[in-house]
Amino acid sequence: MEKKVDYSLRVEMTKMEKLTDIKREKGKVGFVDKSVWITLLILLVLPFLISKPLATEILIYGLFALAFNQLLGHTGVLSFGHAAYFGVGAYAGGMALRYFHVSVWTSLVVAMVVTALVAACIGVLAIKKKGVYFAMISLAFAQMFYFMALSPFRKWTGGEDGLKFIPILKLEFPFHVDLTSALPLYYFTYFVVGLAIIALWRILDSPFGRVLKAIRENEVRTQASGFNVTRAKFLSLVISGSFSGLAGALFTVYLGYGSLMTLFWMTSGSILMMTLLGGMHTFIGPVVGVGVFMYLQNTISVYTDRWQLFVGALFVALVLFFPDGLVGTIKMKYRERKSRA
Amino acid sequence: MQLETNGVCKYFGGLKAVDGVDFSLSSGQLKSIIGPNGAGKTTFFNLLSGFYLPTKGTIRFEGKDISRKSMDQVSQLGITKTFQITQIFPRLTVFENVRIAAQSRKTAFNFWRRAGHFHDVNEKALEILDLVTLLDSRERIASNLSHGEKRYLEIGMALAAEPKVLLLDEPTAGMSPAETVEATHLIRDIADRLDLTIVLVEHDMSVVMEISDDILVLHEGKVLAEGNPKTISDNEEVQRVYLGGGK
Repeated sequence: MEKKVDYSLRVEMTKMEKLTDIKREKGKVGFVDKSVWITLLILLVLPFLISKPLATEILIYGLFALAFNQLLGHTGVLSFGHAAYFGVGAYAGGMALRYFHVSVWTSLVVAMVVTALVAACIGVLAIKKKGVYFAMISLAFAQMFYFMALSPFRKWTGGEDGLKFIPILKLEFPFHVDLTSALPLYYFTYFVVGLAIIALWRILDSPFGRVLKAIRENEVRTQASGFNVTRAKFLSLVISGSFSGLAGALFTVYLGYGSLMTLFWMTSGSILMMTLLGGMHTFIGPVVGVGVFMYLQNTISVYTDRWQLFVGALFVALVLFFPDGLVGTIKMKYRERKSRA
Repeated sequence: MQLETNGVCKYFGGLKAVDGVDFSLSSGQLKSIIGPNGAGKTTFFNLLSGFYLPTKGTIRFEGKDISRKSMDQVSQLGITKTFQITQIFPRLTVFENVRIAAQSRKTAFNFWRRAGHFHDVNEKALEILDLVTLLDSRERIASNLSHGEKRYLEIGMALAAEPKVLLLDEPTAGMSPAETVEATHLIRDIADRLDLTIVLVEHDMSVVMEISDDILVLHEGKVLAEGNPKTISDNEEVQRVYLGGGK
């Protein structure tokens, strides 16, 4: 929290000195926000609190949700087909591993580049469309990729069986890590996702990130201030797509095969739901949303096959009582209490 | 001439909102555009700022043809506008509103540095906040400001883009008489202090008469009269269509 200086007590201070003082205060900025450090710390010990595969999935979907929310919560653009980027990343990484026998690191880079290109193509065609039109076009593209992977390209993608026969996964660089056992796999994922989270936070806190927020707040004003709104939205889509692709490639490494589910429209729907659950107007909210949603899904499905009924009911309750998402609403309540005190 | 238009027109289907307006503005002038409702004032403004593209005619700024440029390009060249309906970034702080506007001149597509690290941008934002008397409200969320403060904030955001020509679309709309007087003086003060060229669309005649160097009267998309406040208030035709004097 920012420290308030009471200027009224320093009457002798001239106006110029006051300005200099505020300027100094404004110039102080750290490496990343405290909330990012806290999240990274919790994620560090997560595999000792819940099952390791679940923890790994939370990491991967957490990154996907953050990348998705850069577009939804921070640029104000709803993509209802983000499964396209997650899935294309999953297949691009998987195919690089399967057919070109590249290292795991290279497969991640390949996935990011390929999804960035896919996002750029979709962006060129659709980013100028507003609101629900853009959402529908992205859904159409995602469905197109789903059906392409399902049948015309089944020779390469494995169709509904998914992409199988990926070589046994391990790291050789910088030292040997066996990615088939759960804990090393978790910390490998943690390392990649951690870096990506810091990168995404830094992007949002850069001058470019502030332009994105300005677009979310008021597109006309942003343009009147001299910013090329279309270009900024396009770049935001490419960055968001690329990091979603990274999450997809990590998912393939985690599963050991490429899953067709990554391209399915329900993936787009659930990432939206989890993001809203955590709070789209906060940075770290989506990760919290993913954690809560997946933990509940996992726990309730042990007791009943109808877990979706309970998760759905809970979702309705959360939307009613936490309209800004879990993190968003708590943050607002905290701020209100503080300003009253 | 700093800014001039030549036979500029804007048609919406069959409606001739702006119909062949010749207009010129010299540097440092404060010029007002008046006219009854539907005279085409705001449309003309939107042509100057690049919000609309003209159907016909040319707009030249410092000798360059800007008729086909978009709003962000026009803003980068040095013409920035405020809107009739206040346009701000409601959920950001007052400081952040102006800071973002202030970074438009150089750091828009910088991904890798922290926004707060650009000290010159911070300083410019604070100085502008001081100028529009919002320095002490800098940490407030913009949507919580009063109507008058929001209007000032938008003027501040326009100033942050370092315009050579500032277009103000009814800056005192919705203000109380006392606020209007204050805002009028602020605008005149800014014009003199920053040596800006200002074009004002205004409804309130007292405001216009008090601060303008020059007045342009529009009626049904055409120029009805042009001149200094004295000649305009003496002009019989202007009185007939606008000031409501006689039939």
